[in-house]
Amino acid sequence: MSDARFVNLKAVGSSVIPDEAVPLVEGDGRFLNDIKLPGMYQVAFLRSQHAHARLNSIDTGKARQLRGVIKVLTGKELFGKVDPFRSMPNRFSGGESIQHWLAVDKVRFCGEAICAVVAEDRATAEDACNLIEVEYDPLPAVTDPRLGEQDDAPLIHDACKNNYLIKREYQRGDVDAAFRNAHVVVKRKFRIGRKQALCLESRGCVAGYRESTFTLTVWISHQLPYVVRHYLAEHLRMPETDVRVIVPHTGGGFGQKASIYPEEFVCAWLALQLRRPVKWVEDRLENMVASTHARDQYIELQIAADKNGRILAISSDIWVDVGAYSIYLWSAGMEPLQTAGLMPGPYKIEAMRYRTRGVATNKTPVGPYRAVGRPSASASLELLIDELGRRLNLDPVEIRQRNLIPLEAMPYRNANNLVHDNVNYLPCLKLAAAKAGYERLRKEQHEGSPNGKFRGIGIACYAELTGLGTSTAVGPGTLLQPGRDAVTLRLETTGVLTIAAALPSQGQRIMTAMRQVASDELGIRLEDITSISNDTATAPYGFGTFASRTAVFGSGATIKAARELRQRILVIGAFLLQVPIEELTITNSVVHTVDRSKSIALKDLTEKSYFSAKSIPQEINPGFEVTAFYDPKFGSFAGGAHIAVVDVDPKTGQVEVVRYVAAEDVGTLINPAVVEGQIIGGIAQGIGEALLEELVYDDAGQPRTMTLADYLVPSALEIPRIELHHANVPSAALGGFKGCGEGSIIGALGSVACAVADALSRHGGDIHEFPATPERVLKGLGVLASTQ
Amino acid sequence: MAREQRICVTVNGKVYERTVPVRLSLADFLREHLHLTGTHLGCEHGVCGACTISLNGRSARSCLTLAVQADGANVITIEGLRADDGTRHPLQQIFLENFALQCGYCTPGMLITAIELLADNPNPTEREVREALSGNICRCSGYQAIIDAVLIAARQAGGAHANAQVR
Amino acid sequence: MLAGGQSLMPMLNLRILSPAVVVDINRIEPLNELRADKDCLTVGALVRHADLLRSADVCRDWPLLAEATRQVAHMAIRNRGTVCGSVSHNDPAAEHPSVLVTMGGTVVVAGRQGRRELAAEEFFTGTLSNALEPGEMVVQLRYPRPSARTRSAFVEFARRLGDFAMAGAAATLTMRDGTCEHARLTILGMGQGPFRAHAAEQRLTGRRLGPKECKDGFAEAVAKVTADVDPADDVHASSSYRRHLAGVLALRALETALGRTGGKVG
Repeated sequence: MSDARFVNLKAVGSSVIPDEAVPLVEGDGRFLNDIKLPGMYQVAFLRSQHAHARLNSIDTGKARQLRGVIKVLTGKELFGKVDPFRSMPNRFSGGESIQHWLAVDKVRFCGEAICAVVAEDRATAEDACNLIEVEYDPLPAVTDPRLGEQDDAPLIHDACKNNYLIKREYQRGDVDAAFRNAHVVVKRKFRIGRKQALCLESRGCVAGYRESTFTLTVWISHQLPYVVRHYLAEHLRMPETDVRVIVPHTGGGFGQKASIYPEEFVCAWLALQLRRPVKWVEDRLENMVASTHARDQYIELQIAADKNGRILAISSDIWVDVGAYSIYLWSAGMEPLQTAGLMPGPYKIEAMRYRTRGVATNKTPVGPYRAVGRPSASASLELLIDELGRRLNLDPVEIRQRNLIPLEAMPYRNANNLVHDNVNYLPCLKLAAAKAGYERLRKEQHEGSPNGKFRGIGIACYAELTGLGTSTAVGPGTLLQPGRDAVTLRLETTGVLTIAAALPSQGQRIMTAMRQVASDELGIRLEDITSISNDTATAPYGFGTFASRTAVFGSGATIKAARELRQRILVIGAFLLQVPIEELTITNSVVHTVDRSKSIALKDLTEKSYFSAKSIPQEINPGFEVTAFYDPKFGSFAGGAHIAVVDVDPKTGQVEVVRYVAAEDVGTLINPAVVEGQIIGGIAQGIGEALLEELVYDDAGQPRTMTLADYLVPSALEIPRIELHHANVPSAALGGFKGCGEGSIIGALGSVACAVADALSRHGGDIHEFPATPERVLKGLGVLASTQ
Repeated sequence: MAREQRICVTVNGKVYERTVPVRLSLADFLREHLHLTGTHLGCEHGVCGACTISLNGRSARSCLTLAVQADGANVITIEGLRADDGTRHPLQQIFLENFALQCGYCTPGMLITAIELLADNPNPTEREVREALSGNICRCSGYQAIIDAVLIAARQAGGAHANAQVR
Repeated sequence: MLAGGQSLMPMLNLRILSPAVVVDINRIEPLNELRADKDCLTVGALVRHADLLRSADVCRDWPLLAEATRQVAHMAIRNRGTVCGSVSHNDPAAEHPSVLVTMGGTVVVAGRQGRRELAAEEFFTGTLSNALEPGEMVVQLRYPRPSARTRSAFVEFARRLGDFAMAGAAATLTMRDGTCEHARLTILGMGQGPFRAHAAEQRLTGRRLGPKECKDGFAEAVAKVTADVDPADDVHASSSYRRHLAGVLALRALETALGRTGGKVG
């Protein structure tokens, strides 16, 4: 096998313009709602008006009679025919939650689906929903997890005592001793409000009966096609091979499109019953209540430190409002277990203790959203570290430098049992501070602003475990272990290379990255490489796109398969060119001797191997299709340090982010421009979390934030120009890659929260509740009374 | 009272005569009746901007316009931005080269709005670009690449955008 | 009634309203009148927010109106939404009702009985309410031409540019040799429609507002504003925060107006 590396331009590391983007920029995307099939019906769901109620009766008579209505489906009709979603096993489950696809005798959150109306068009289906008469018997609602866990609280699920869907206590190291012997203890309560991913395209599906050779084909706006296929087959009690799942262009996912929801499953069932294609598109109003929510934690945190500001131990008490059901596939453990378990972040912490609970409430279920529990955990810890610094008169950068896990200490096992290695926490902090001109920033802050605003500077350092292999479960306590994905490489009859992987993009350009990797590994020109990523019928098994894994998995599996494929190509090349294999290499899709005296285009070599196979010995022509599974075993830590500068208007409470510097370690870069887009996108969402976004419910469990005029996401004016720098070190995974999709949102919530707290603290104020709305800021400054 | 009306609309230079329900939005008309699915629906209450098209030369939310209101009007959508020979609009090309789109869902509205901005203000500052695009939500990109693309387009055109309406 | 549709269409789409009939007035050409005369600006029912901003006359001679209109939502909304529509709808967060009140404008109403005219303050009767009888519509607004000695400012506060304002203030100060001949101040966002701050105005009318004296005058006026407004609580802001904002923005509007030379937006 030739040692000579290829001599074409290295694709990995260059910002290759993605072919994937071409149809999107031209308006030729095929998103879910663009799909139309002959004879297709449309579905609308009647949703609960009450947060918690018994369903006494449902009268669908008038609805069924409306012209254009095909069918009205209730939970009673489905009962017994399909398996409801039982909460996924988790070692720390409080009890089983059972979610019927359509509510049967009880509704547990505003927006829960009660009926599905099938009609010739969506407007008619919605008209029919208005004609359905439901008799509710309202029950008292649980809306606060700290009240919901009390013995006298109304029970949402009979099997879940104290409404615990998840509960865990954990301790490592002698925490009590650390607190006893500490020079200083700081302690605070934090509140992180409820959020949602707010993908610009909401959910949807088209379920088709015998649209192709498959009995059931489901187009679905989703991140995990094989997972959807698996559970469809199970719940509909049909062979998995009769089911095909296709993911069209997807307008954002961020984890919200990684759960299993009832609506799409109802549509699949209807398609099989009616033997017609059935489409459901989630409109924005529905999306606000029907798709998973995120965050919503109450965090009580304590740090014990020595006189040098070194953290000796941390202890946290956490309540997460996980909504009405344990979300299917992940369980309700996501936020509670990750918020608590990943609290140490990039800091050297020898002892920790936590008590965390996911308490059911009568709200939309909580599911995974970009970085899950890490932003809230990080923000709380960063805020408290700043307070520790103030107590000890240590600058925020200085105190973090004393606590970050240094390279010399790696591999380092933290108190939460995670091993940190190959990651540049300290270099990132130093780089961020240097690029921000940190000293000058503090000096300017000290001098005060001519515009009367209060300047704040916040720093957050994060650790983000990406590309989790089989040694790490997808979440603590879950029995679901993805961690192995496959890639198939195939040289087609015309010599072009196809990469197939079930790793759909929602804009991350996964397949472009994999084409770049394949191009370098095989010496094939980028333009000779195409990809398939979204169809269970044509791509091999992959768990899918979430948890910042695709760069690691997709690239790793591509490299493994490419090595085998390269060998096969060179063996045939050696035969056809009659030269020793050691003299051969591949450059720009040509197989040639290193001295270029002999060559054959890959196109010709491939065609010969397919159509003139007689002339090639069988034993060296096994075909050009190679599938490789990759399991990196462990995760790869990415890290970063973010510095946010804010101006707070002390009259209105408005916060403006005026400068933002980020230094990141995201491993070996495949496509720098794509990575930059991911990082900045994550920062924007983090700024939204810190300042703007919040889902509000009243005491009766009624949602108060129902439209995009209520739930505010950042516009182009709320995000400053991000100054992005890199201090990358390769991971131990194949290729040295790391994930970059989620780390930056952690840094953003932390740095902006700290910046606001910094501004306020210099004027005798404080803030512990986020988002830092203008009103909370003024209360923190004492300008408004804090009573409510 | 009429539940349907006959309308005649010019879309991307082509004249269409159709009978439509009076309650049909222009967005749904373009997407469902004319199969121009490049215009996207993100909220249907006028906030997200994904549905923005050009109506008689000015940007408008197609989700807040009834199809019957477009009778006799001239509509341009993202599909109409390319030249007759298929060449992309310069702004589309710059978006592509500058990674100014990720999932692509906000892109139609961004393009239409940016083209209007450059026609009104051929040499905008970064602040002016951000302000003009502040009514178009993007959840993926954090806006930076989009802003840069518009600024590059302005520089490259050197004022050629002035008064250049979207046909 | 469908003119711009930027308020009505969201309500139809969200199924908040399901009218049996919608009357589209967009083809009634005579309603599309924007005319600046010696004494007043006439704004017909089909004039869009964007039309005001594209009028050199409006920008130069009715600066308060122009400044407020610039803060209405975003361009795509301004291209379609109408000024008369905004006035008729009377959303508590809307800019136009407060500007009309501050400028002492007139609402021209047409119905089966013919036309009638109402002073702005008579027209706005409460949250999302107006003095229209069934079968009537607003056909025109008239804004008096401000004197060259009138300084004005419009400020509002929203979470993001273009969002529904949490509060806002429109102020005009007609000055003569350092004395305020006439002050007008209206607060928006307080819940019941434009709030004309009469008591605050009285503190300023006839008062010297030199660089030092204005501080006390404004402080008194603002104290009246915060004492008199009665804002509602909602998911965006509590009533105490709105009350506080009313004071902050009233002061900003007054200070900004005073700092401008007569008739122009600085």
